[in-house]
Amino acid sequence: MVVRIPLEDVILVRVQAPQQKFQRYQTFTSGNLMISVITFKNVSYKIGNKIILDNISLDIAKGSITGILGPNGAGKTTLLSLINGLHAHTAGVITVLDEKLPLNPNLRKHIGVVLQENALYEELTTFENLEFSASLYDVKNVKERIDNVLTLLKLSDRKNQIVRTLSGGLKRRVAIARSFIHDPELLIVDEPTLGVDAETRHAIWSHLKLLKSSGRTIIVATNYLDEAQALCDTVAVLKSGKLQVVETPEELLSRTGICIDVACSEQTGKAVSAAIKKTKNIVRIDKTSSGLSIFIKSKTAPKDIIDTILQDSTVEGFKTRAPDLAEVFKTL
Amino acid sequence: MKSALIAFFSGAKAEFIQLKRSPFLIILTIIQAITFIFLVNFFGTTGAFAPTALVDYDKGVYSKKFIQNLQDAHHSFDLKFMDTKSATDAINKGNVVAIITIPKGFSEAISQGKLQTIKVVVNNIDTDMTADIKRALPSAITRFGQDLNLPGIHVEAKESDLINHDTGFIPYLMVSALVLSAFIISGILGAVAVAQEFELGTILLLVSSPVRPLIPLLGRIMTTSVISVFAMLVAVLIVVLGHGVYPVHPLEMFFALLFCIIIFGCIGAALGAAMKRTLPVASLVFGISLPLYLFSGAYEPERFDGSAIWGITHFFPIYYAVGIMEHAVLDLKVTPESVFVNFLALFGFAVLALLTAGFFLRRAVS
Repeated sequence: MVVRIPLEDVILVRVQAPQQKFQRYQTFTSGNLMISVITFKNVSYKIGNKIILDNISLDIAKGSITGILGPNGAGKTTLLSLINGLHAHTAGVITVLDEKLPLNPNLRKHIGVVLQENALYEELTTFENLEFSASLYDVKNVKERIDNVLTLLKLSDRKNQIVRTLSGGLKRRVAIARSFIHDPELLIVDEPTLGVDAETRHAIWSHLKLLKSSGRTIIVATNYLDEAQALCDTVAVLKSGKLQVVETPEELLSRTGICIDVACSEQTGKAVSAAIKKTKNIVRIDKTSSGLSIFIKSKTAPKDIIDTILQDSTVEGFKTRAPDLAEVFKTL
Repeated sequence: MKSALIAFFSGAKAEFIQLKRSPFLIILTIIQAITFIFLVNFFGTTGAFAPTALVDYDKGVYSKKFIQNLQDAHHSFDLKFMDTKSATDAINKGNVVAIITIPKGFSEAISQGKLQTIKVVVNNIDTDMTADIKRALPSAITRFGQDLNLPGIHVEAKESDLINHDTGFIPYLMVSALVLSAFIISGILGAVAVAQEFELGTILLLVSSPVRPLIPLLGRIMTTSVISVFAMLVAVLIVVLGHGVYPVHPLEMFFALLFCIIIFGCIGAALGAAMKRTLPVASLVFGISLPLYLFSGAYEPERFDGSAIWGITHFFPIYYAVGIMEHAVLDLKVTPESVFVNFLALFGFAVLALLTAGFFLRRAVS
């Protein structure tokens, strides 16, 4: 099948549709039919007496990108490792591609994994790394398949380069390329853009969206809210091993709203707080080292709030921005 | 089955390419093994032929004869002819370990059957060297008296050899060094191949793939074993060409070393899986090799070291390997067990090593 994929620069590539593994498992959400690729039902994972994941219930829809958000140590990587079979859950039921875990070797053929570390053979070339991975998944027409994947991820010119000599961003792309060399239905990506520069981040997001557009389901663990916003259809937020909320990134952001950072003295800060608390549409006011962070509801115009502040106080400066992940977590 | 074979040979190929691209690992491992051979060489060459100053004030017929007897004392003296002053300087500077002074009138006194005193000054900084001098002198004097039929000395040595040929000390040591070289080379390469998977994190990809992770890992170990065989050829060539030691039974030697490579490669893989880090595991393998060397019957047949030590050595494959190797290379029988029994023991150890490697690898990836 030849498909045309709109990207920043349009590329024409041959993308095989993933082999459809599942058909039966279906759930209904919000009145729409949703085919679940992964289902967690009251799943827990313990090491000794320590609870790492606690009573998680979650559905991941086919053809979606789902983000697992949470601070470090929240249990994101553990949740992914339960899906890809690196760890075994201690309670509940996990269904992946219509089969209950533990994974059987056949099911593994339908899952691609990108670990937090690139986990590449540093002394092998890009091609050799992919070739080795292809051999594990019994991929047919290996050379052609590798060429397609390299084209898709714009790595063709790095085909014969030894991985050790690649930049961090390129290594990450090779790791992603390797994860779908066997054309999996489900792609599990742990921290897709950890430690890469801004340009590479955007490139990796484009690649993941491209994979989604070819019918794959992607589950991504991330620390970054902007990544979740840019990539994900749905986000599941974990905190201390517990699932806090499952919603769209927009819904998540609207909980915290828009942030206005106000630079001012402590004295002025108190006056500003007192003045705007009377105003509607304020979600929260946080005291910061440089003044205040004022969170307003998403549909509120920041200008109105700023006008209110300037009526009675003189501030050193202000700026509006989207809240970060830590600020979002405070509202959960 | 076909998928497993593909994964196995892919693992082997990947390891081969990796090793080809980082030849330093192989070169350094071979150097370590060769260092071992040189180390053994030095064991044999040092501690013998003590540099000894000889001051001869007699220069007569019997002093010459006595000097000849000193020189003939096995591996004992490296005589340096000096006068008293330079000999004293030399011993004070540490250039010689002892001064033997033959007094004036020595030959005349001997011819008249009179008692003669030979003054010996010893630098007793090292009791081992001093003891060597103490042992060698009476031996030379006895031989001197025997040769001259001096009155009061009635010794007749009638040597009857068990083996129809003599074996030099260094060639004897070299054989056990070869076994230890096999341990170092295949042990380190096997250990590094496995530990690297954990260090790079690639083991997690093997675990999450449809094939059993052991299969590509075994492929890697097969490659390191094949490379170990070629590396051992270098070590064998050094022994053959460097020391002129030609194996009497080359096939026996080949199979003994092959068993060693399999056993030690598996032990290395088990250590790699247990430790999961390349640097400590390489050091550990080298560290283990030293006590194993002493347990291998390196200096003499191990049963001469007492029944307790001899009993313990039976728990180590090196004992059987050295037994076969001494026979294969030098036609010596250093174990009471036959070559066939030694091979059977090595086979048993190979099976055990494979199972142990499998156990540790499975545990590490589970």
